Amino acid sequence: MINGTAEHRRGTSLKPLSSDRIQTVTASTFTRLVLEAEGPIVVEFMSYGCEHCRAIEPVLEQVAKMVEPRETIFRVNIAVEQELAGSYQIQGTPTLIMFLDGNEVGRVEGPSPTVSSVLTAVTQPFELRTENN
Amino acid sequence: MIQKQTKPILLFNDECAVCRHIGHWVQRSAQSKSGETGILVQPIGDDPERLRSLNPNLDIWDAYETIHVLMPDGSMRLGGEAVAETLRNLPNTKWFAGSFATRIFGFRPFQVLLNMAYAILSDVRPLFGCESCGKPKVLRRIQWVTKGVKNLFGGSPRPSPTPHFSSLSAARRRPLAVSVQPLPQSTHS
Repeated sequence: MINGTAEHRRGTSLKPLSSDRIQTVTASTFTRLVLEAEGPIVVEFMSYGCEHCRAIEPVLEQVAKMVEPRETIFRVNIAVEQELAGSYQIQGTPTLIMFLDGNEVGRVEGPSPTVSSVLTAVTQPFELRTENN
Repeated sequence: MIQKQTKPILLFNDECAVCRHIGHWVQRSAQSKSGETGILVQPIGDDPERLRSLNPNLDIWDAYETIHVLMPDGSMRLGGEAVAETLRNLPNTKWFAGSFATRIFGFRPFQVLLNMAYAILSDVRPLFGCESCGKPKVLRRIQWVTKGVKNLFGGSPRPSPTPHFSSLSAARRRPLAVSVQPLPQSTHS
């Protein structure tokens, strides 16, 4: 538990945004950035208040760095995009859905927050699809 | 219009029933007889950029992890310090909240007690209805020990299929976002 005072003054020692590498998509940009995009896309359905999403966040950032530019990872905030979450029948957070050329090719609910686990989750469905083709 | 922040802002987790309850209590208690408000109360919400506009060093993940009070000078109070700062700004509690700053041989005993009380409350929030906080650490430790003992006596471990997953079933019983009052545009020009 964190107790104390953060004496950061405005405009100095600015922390990088935790969501710098993973872009947030909304209902209005989902079609263009995910469904109409070519190649492998991973979408994390999450909520900022969810403790498991908080645990996976730094891992996902690390994985996003490892898989780019082959894959792009986006996030959807289900607290805001409830219709979008409903249309993909999201049962909880975090849920990772893998899209290849706009089609869902894999889905993982609550992956273990380790690099190896998340990396496998976001690469395996695409590798299997490539092997089958 | 860009407004300058003149009062502390208490941010609370609007996805947690306990925090919502406390947040609303603080908001009700913050008004003095003259109608003045000593502290503003805001839900953390879902917009990281909006929080950044309040304080460039405020990360939304950090905000959900522990209670934050944003000070007009750009600093932030966290955890027990944030609770003390909140109590200092409430008309009914400021008379005793000064005790948290009392130093005895350079040590702040009342603040330490408050920090501990906050840490315990924060951990057991799920028992009182926090839908988004997961299981209390205490409960996790008990489950871990129970599982270990079962395995020791030949019980077959049955791990949960998705232990790192927050089901939406609880969240569906309540609105996901609570709006208390709009956040100020920006605090410093």
